[in-house]
Amino acid sequence: MSAFEPRTGDDLVPEEQRAEYLAFLLAGDAYAIAIASVVEILRPLPVTEVPRAPAEVLGVMNARGRIVTVLDLRERFALPTNGKLDRRARVLLVDVGSEIVGLLVEEVLQVVRLAPSEIEPPDRLGAEAPPHVVGIARPRGRGAALVTRPGGVVVLVDLGPLFVGGRRET
Amino acid sequence: MIEGGGRGDGGDRAREEFFSEAQEIVDGLSRDLLALDEAARRGGGDAELVNDVFRAVHTLKGLSGLFGAALMSGLSHELEDLLDDLRLGRIELSAQVLDLLFRSVELYGRILGAARGDGPEPAQEVKELLAALGHVAAQKGGQTSAGVLAQYELDPGLLGVLTEYEEHRLRSNLQAGLALYRMRVSFLLATIDSALDELKAKTRPLGEIITFLPTGEGGDAESVELEILVASRASLDELRAALAGAAATVEEVRRRDRGSSARASYPEGLDGAATPVPPPLAPASSGSLAPPAAASLVPPPSLAPSGGREVTLRSVTQTVRVDIRKLDHLMNIVGELGLVRSAVGKVVDRARRRGELGDVSADLHRIHRALERHLGQLQNGILEVRMVPLGQVFDKLARIVRQISREHDKSVNLVITGSETEIDKLIVEELSDPLMHMMRNAIDHAIEDRDGRMAAGKPAVGTIALNAFQKGNHVVVEVEDDGRGMSRDRIVRAAIQRGLVTEEAARDLDDKEALDLVFAPGFTTKDEATSLSGRGVGMDVVKTNIGKLGGVIDISSELGIGTKMTIVLPITLAIISVLVVEVAGRTFCVPLASVEEAFRLDARQIRLVDGREVITQRGATLPLVRLAQTFELRGHREGVFVVAPDEPRPEPRAPREGRAFVVLGAVAGRRVGFVVDDLVGQQDIVIKALGPSLQRIRGVAGATDLGDQRVGLVLDTAALIEEALAARPAARALGEALA
Repeated sequence: MSAFEPRTGDDLVPEEQRAEYLAFLLAGDAYAIAIASVVEILRPLPVTEVPRAPAEVLGVMNARGRIVTVLDLRERFALPTNGKLDRRARVLLVDVGSEIVGLLVEEVLQVVRLAPSEIEPPDRLGAEAPPHVVGIARPRGRGAALVTRPGGVVVLVDLGPLFVGGRRET
Repeated sequence: MIEGGGRGDGGDRAREEFFSEAQEIVDGLSRDLLALDEAARRGGGDAELVNDVFRAVHTLKGLSGLFGAALMSGLSHELEDLLDDLRLGRIELSAQVLDLLFRSVELYGRILGAARGDGPEPAQEVKELLAALGHVAAQKGGQTSAGVLAQYELDPGLLGVLTEYEEHRLRSNLQAGLALYRMRVSFLLATIDSALDELKAKTRPLGEIITFLPTGEGGDAESVELEILVASRASLDELRAALAGAAATVEEVRRRDRGSSARASYPEGLDGAATPVPPPLAPASSGSLAPPAAASLVPPPSLAPSGGREVTLRSVTQTVRVDIRKLDHLMNIVGELGLVRSAVGKVVDRARRRGELGDVSADLHRIHRALERHLGQLQNGILEVRMVPLGQVFDKLARIVRQISREHDKSVNLVITGSETEIDKLIVEELSDPLMHMMRNAIDHAIEDRDGRMAAGKPAVGTIALNAFQKGNHVVVEVEDDGRGMSRDRIVRAAIQRGLVTEEAARDLDDKEALDLVFAPGFTTKDEATSLSGRGVGMDVVKTNIGKLGGVIDISSELGIGTKMTIVLPITLAIISVLVVEVAGRTFCVPLASVEEAFRLDARQIRLVDGREVITQRGATLPLVRLAQTFELRGHREGVFVVAPDEPRPEPRAPREGRAFVVLGAVAGRRVGFVVDDLVGQQDIVIKALGPSLQRIRGVAGATDLGDQRVGLVLDTAALIEEALAARPAARALGEALA
């Protein structure tokens, strides 16, 4: 952490209490998942479409000999899918418990360490949050750059509930 | 990451080992019990089998003690006592005792299952079994035949050192009317283990070795002479001939009443235990056998009469147990190597076409061919390691058939052929549940009771034939019974009653379609589930499970004659040959096992029947299925894409208007023509499963690496054919009723 950053109260929180998240862009907004669940970050590889698969399944790809299902979370989260996919696009290999899936994201931002005080429970949003949203973060310090618009937040996502018992919940 | 590599710590590994070893022993136990049952039914026992069972239980006891498996340990302890009584003849091998033994095998299986987290521990059942075992032990009878030994010219000194078990074996053999022989053999101490084993192997086919004891004569520092008692049905000459190679003297131990005419006139003194001390053993003519060295008495090696088994630390088998996942891992590597090889092949071709490299390119070509050949051998080798005989599952079935038929009071003879047929280990594992269910069905529903069979003019004992054989790249398993057969009316009535089909639709079904109703989910002909087959799984589950293995099941039945179910399975799941095809720019792989032929589609031949396209192929009407429509593939080549625009895109192949091919898919006699845009070629692929989240996609069996980083989908031909034929108007009503 740079010495030139303004000190805030959160700098006093011991490092071990801060949780690490990997932040990425979906439809222009920042999302983050626990870094422990990320297996690998890949440049996009050829994806083979799977007929009759749900809409959010882009297809399957070959990641070092393993056949991995690639998902477009924008489809899943009902976000606009016309966002730009350029050379910054990546596939995150994520362990969701029952299998390892690939998540297509528009851009990988950074690893962000969040103190408990920076995370709010999802119900603060007012409306009932879907089960995969586990928290809302308003990072301060270096992480503040993640927020792309005024009043914006980083949505913390846990993919586990989407794959209960190896079958996608609908 | 290495999939299927070493996993867990040493403790886990040891536990795994324990489980698989225990499982193996239990399987062996089951086989021995079946043989014992067979022998008992023929009216004889088999001492060697009882011993095998005893040893197996003894080993289990030791193992379970080591691993703190209290339930298994307790069960083994009691069983060991029962088996000891059995082999010592203190109790008889009755049907009741056999039942208890079979029950214990089942409980062992459940205990092992519970330890793997598969169901609860059968604590209550074990308790009940232990109580039943205690009850049997309490009925022990005494010896009833003390007198028989006294009728033989045996040295009382010898009789004195026999163990209880040896004495029992001697007595039972003599009661059974076998002749008793005495052999004297001299062994070199250095080779006594192997020489003794050899002698045992030669003797075993002819009779049973009761005991062997050092004679204390004819030995020296390097050798020892043993006296061996053998009970046999063979004559003295036969026995001598069999042992021709070994330096042994053989003589018969005579019965006093027959062997000596002097005593024949005093029979009254012979039948009681009060017979006077018999004369000592006649000195055997041992001189010619003893090694020439001077006789100096050597204490006998550990051949003391402790059941007569030598202790060795060497393992008896030359096999290793391997986790199937490790083999999968190796198989994947071989698959990748195959891809590397084909890349090398392309380079070789390029070099040869240029011709500049001359000799080098010829050498390269030769080396490439050698690589290709050896890789093929490696692949076959690994496949072979994965193969196990179907007997592994057939043995278990035999036990279940015995149990079910006894529970149900039906006499059933299970005739097994082809247990040696080999198939992929994973398939064998997955096959046992479907087969078990089919056996239950056959006994419960198909085989009539004794009176019913007599009335129908059939043999009182029903027969279930379990046949297996290899047919090309497939293994066929047939389950055929000679029971009452399936009545079309009864099936259709039951299906209508359960709302599986409407009365209207049922009228349009042909006999085959009516029979196939038994595979509909929820089908049963019984009003109440019996304890045997009605456990919530039906033939639909059987069909689904077999389908998962890439197999198909077919049924044929004749009323009053019997029913035959035929399962056709691929020989291995690991590597399959496929026909690579292109549809709308996407690549699909069709397993060659289900492809009859492929040919150019002549658009002028297409006719419309019932609103669907058909052609006439070799005189038969062939329904066509356009894969692009079935899979709703839109746009050419949109299916395979590279996400980032700066990555090189594969050159799209222009769609060729009006050109198409038909891939004739055939599974279990049903044929459908799949219309594709192009045939790319034939390839051997390592098939991989799609992730759990895509498991339920109908028509796709898996995926494979095509070599250029692309993934090709492997079609589930059986499911697609079924889907296509189910869409027939006549059957559509059925489909709707099922929904």
